[in-house]
Amino acid sequence: MSSTPVAPPPSAPPPAPPPKDTFTVSFDGKAIEVPKNLNLIDAAKLAGVDIPHFCYHPRLSVVGQCRMCLVEIEGMPKIQAACTVPLKDGLSVKTTTDKVKNARAATMEFLLINHPLDCPICDQAGECTLQDNSFGYGNQLSRFDEAKRQYPTFDRTMIGPHVVADMTRCIQCTRCIRFTHEIAGTSELTFLDRGGRTLVWTHEGQPLANDWSGCAADVCPVGALTTREFRFRSRVWYLQKTPSVCPGCNVGCNISIESRDDVVYRFLPRLNPTVNDYWLCDYGRFLSEPLNDRDVHKATVREGSAVREATVPAAVDRIAREIRSSLEGKGPGAVFFLGSAHLSNEENFLLRKIADHVGSPNRDAIVDKSRPRKVKSKTVWVEGDDAGANHQGAKDMGLSPGAGGHGLDAVIAGKASPEVILIADAAFSAIADDPEKVAALRRARFLAVAARNANALTRAADVVLPAASLAEKEGTFTNVQGRVQKFDRAFLPKPPIRAAWEHLLLLALALGFGDRSWTPHDLLRQIAAEVPDYAGIKEEELEGGRLLKKGDFAWAGRP
Amino acid sequence: MEKVLTARIGKKDSRSIDTYLADGGYTGVKRVLTSGMTPEQVIEEVKKANVRGRGGAGFSAGVKWGFLPKDTKGKPIYLFCNADESEPGTFKDRLLMENDPHQLIEGMILASYAIRCRNAYIYIRGEFYDGARILERAIGEAYAKGYLGEKILGSRFSLDITVHRGAGAYICGEETGLIESIEGKRGQPRIKPPFPAVSGAFAAPTIVNNVETLCCVKHVIDRGAEWFLKIGRNEKNAGPKLFCISGHVNRPGVYEAAMGLPLKDLIFGAEYAQGMKGGKKIKAVIPGGASAPMLTAAEIDDCPLDFDGVAAKGSMLGSAAIVVINEDACIVDVAKNLSKFFSHESCGQCTPCREGTPWLYKVLTRIEAGQGRMEDIDLLARICNQMANGMTICVFADAAIAPPLSSVTKFRAEYEHHVTQKRCLVGARAAELVTV
Ligand SMILES: Cc1cc2nc3c(=O)[nH]c(=O)nc-3n(C[C@H](O)[C@H](O)[C@H](O)COP(=O)(O)O)c2cc1C
Ligand code: SF4
Ligand code: SF4
Ligand code: FES
Repeated sequence: MSSTPVAPPPSAPPPAPPPKDTFTVSFDGKAIEVPKNLNLIDAAKLAGVDIPHFCYHPRLSVVGQCRMCLVEIEGMPKIQAACTVPLKDGLSVKTTTDKVKNARAATMEFLLINHPLDCPICDQAGECTLQDNSFGYGNQLSRFDEAKRQYPTFDRTMIGPHVVADMTRCIQCTRCIRFTHEIAGTSELTFLDRGGRTLVWTHEGQPLANDWSGCAADVCPVGALTTREFRFRSRVWYLQKTPSVCPGCNVGCNISIESRDDVVYRFLPRLNPTVNDYWLCDYGRFLSEPLNDRDVHKATVREGSAVREATVPAAVDRIAREIRSSLEGKGPGAVFFLGSAHLSNEENFLLRKIADHVGSPNRDAIVDKSRPRKVKSKTVWVEGDDAGANHQGAKDMGLSPGAGGHGLDAVIAGKASPEVILIADAAFSAIADDPEKVAALRRARFLAVAARNANALTRAADVVLPAASLAEKEGTFTNVQGRVQKFDRAFLPKPPIRAAWEHLLLLALALGFGDRSWTPHDLLRQIAAEVPDYAGIKEEELEGGRLLKKGDFAWAGRP
Repeated sequence: MEKVLTARIGKKDSRSIDTYLADGGYTGVKRVLTSGMTPEQVIEEVKKANVRGRGGAGFSAGVKWGFLPKDTKGKPIYLFCNADESEPGTFKDRLLMENDPHQLIEGMILASYAIRCRNAYIYIRGEFYDGARILERAIGEAYAKGYLGEKILGSRFSLDITVHRGAGAYICGEETGLIESIEGKRGQPRIKPPFPAVSGAFAAPTIVNNVETLCCVKHVIDRGAEWFLKIGRNEKNAGPKLFCISGHVNRPGVYEAAMGLPLKDLIFGAEYAQGMKGGKKIKAVIPGGASAPMLTAAEIDDCPLDFDGVAAKGSMLGSAAIVVINEDACIVDVAKNLSKFFSHESCGQCTPCREGTPWLYKVLTRIEAGQGRMEDIDLLARICNQMANGMTICVFADAAIAPPLSSVTKFRAEYEHHVTQKRCLVGARAAELVTV
């Protein structure tokens, strides 16, 4: 008899579970799923666990130097720097044990023994990671009874056109060094000397003068690097943060306008990984300064040779009257509308609607070219070279000559001679300060502009309307990537100053269309309904798209 | 024990390749390259001999080589000979390099063959100017005789060795600091993992071995693992070993002996240091370089000088630099002196080490100058305890606390005396102070 055993029926192997793209990691006993490529510090954040840190920065290489992020890992006898521990499945992290608390307190003590503790005169106070962590982990009393380290000639010194260094405050986290090396690619900064004498400085006295030098101050967790422009100007806790978009160029870096009592004190980068990530170029950053400039405070109207003040409605009425009379006399071709790359989509849209309403094909929006500027997004460099943030949007809104219509070039060249010219932004281009070109525009019978600052154009104009600054209005810009980005209002303009869209709405009403209740939100809805590429755009999407939610957004300054 | 590593030292022209060849040098290389011995077989032999790293950590060289990835993804493998020898009290590698450079070169050729390295480097401490010149001359001789360069001895194996001089930083002896330095960067240790064997210099797999370790490799290949394992106290601590003894002894110097030589024999033996100078008593012994905790006179009895023997006493063999301190030395002064070294040499990247080492030095300076307070003694211990055991990137900080922590623990009375009496509790120096 055959003794061959009967083979058991082949049981189908259990289907292999699909490979996970997450790890299960537990923090203080609470397990969560985290993406595989995260740093442990960011994974902890997802779990709602804060791991204090100084040197770790999500966009810079991991160096494990500050030794603040100490945690216990199950199965590892020694304390570990969380930022240096590779994530893996089943990792069990403890952040609240006595060993962890003592270790962090130790690092904190070491960081503070030589620190000047000059918070009362330090600009970083209030947004200083060292200050914050000292509340959590520091000691009230110091056991250090020796003379503190000093850095003669390396304190309170400009190391570049914008950045002031004070090595007494430095905690040697090397974020600034890594920033210049890994992001800017310029490597101006380095460690000098070693041990307790280690300090950060520029190579052989070369200035820290790359296009993003202000970011070195941003990444500095303490007040060792600050900007000349913001030093000693305001306590940071008085500053209101408003999500906005940099007006400097068509890269459209996301910024936080930091203001107090209707004065802008600084711009900081606002995190948007797809545009500017944590960064901002110096040119854009320091546009915060001129943003406060204004010399057009009232509407003015020229009567014969005299220029007199007027109310905004009266001045707008005058524009409407001039437009109507030209239309009657010469037809729609006699009016020319010029939008601007500095105006919002909503403003340019409304201007185009007015042109449509009166039937004029003469409309335009031009932009000066700027020096090429670029900012590193999370993945690539985003490059721009328009000297305005929204040329793309102005074109998208339809501000280019219609059939049979003329553009600005033709007007300046005298190929077209409109009777009435409405320029919605007196700072649209350097043309506005070029006497010859302004003279060419002045050939029109009637010239009206909205402006924040006087220039050759406003001096030549018949009507000047006082226009709000970027900080004083809200709207959207469309950047070089075609990304529609919302900016919020930081504060109200001082009456009678109004945003250009308000001037234009008054004008629309005077010309017989529009609704007094329209806001930029309504205008955006209209854009979504009427402008092809913008079909269906919703404001909520702009906010949900990680952009712009006032008061609740990641500010890039302190990751 | 028959001298192995130092057998040729003291002979006429011991540096020249001619005498080296006459003494049977490079036969190992010839045999390995012409006998068809595979790299794996060389690694196996070294593994079997359990050649524990002579640079300080005592990690098996063969095992380390085994960590190299099988597939290097097109990257080269580097061998770095660590000749930075900066641990205070250590001067054995210098002796080997200056007197018998071909022994090291042969060891490096064999190690390179084993790990499939095409370009090897000797990272030599900058102050060893003579050593660097001697090595370079010897390397030149080896090229001329076909032991280095393309297709060595007609085999398919090629190797270049380059001497790279350091610029005077103790931390560049730490293997990842050394790698950074060779890459042309500031010498500061890296976080591990990745370990150098996986990703070292220029992100390529890299093996770092000490001079003496590589010299041992030559003898393991010449005479076999069995022979090597028989030298010493047991197979975990085997082989010939160089001991550097300094301090208050009659005949300081480098002595070769079998692993496990009793510490007392080294200090008192007639063939070694021949006892204490002036017949003074021992106060303390540092058994493994400045980084090793001090032993008291009582602890040195029955202390075999090998990795496990010294570890059993709560210290470490380290670089086998034995510093003998007699009763006349002030222990606070000793700790202060060593702390000065560590505070000067910390690379400064980790907060606890950068801030802790100068703090220790300052407190010790104060106590030594008679301005200490009782709390300072506990403070010293606390500062030490919060610098080590994972608090830093490399173990420099663990090393830096060894002198203050061990002395505060073992010689607390001396510290207290210093605080209360404002002077040292020692013979000669105390006597001087008393008469003032
Ligand atoms: C602070 C520090 C300094 C070191 N200095 C040296 C040195 O000068 N020479 C040396 O061979 N190893 C030194 N080492 C040990 C090396 O990191 C490494 O372990 C050794 O070179 C490996 O070689 P080995 O396995 O052959 O001993 C040092 C380690 C540390 C932490
Ligand atoms: S200056 Fe600031 S960013 Fe740079 S190392 Fe010092 S603390 Fe860090
Ligand atoms: S422990 Fe000290 S020497 Fe080692 S990496 Fe850190 S700061 Fe540098
Ligand atoms: S954040 Fe981990 S060591 Fe600095």
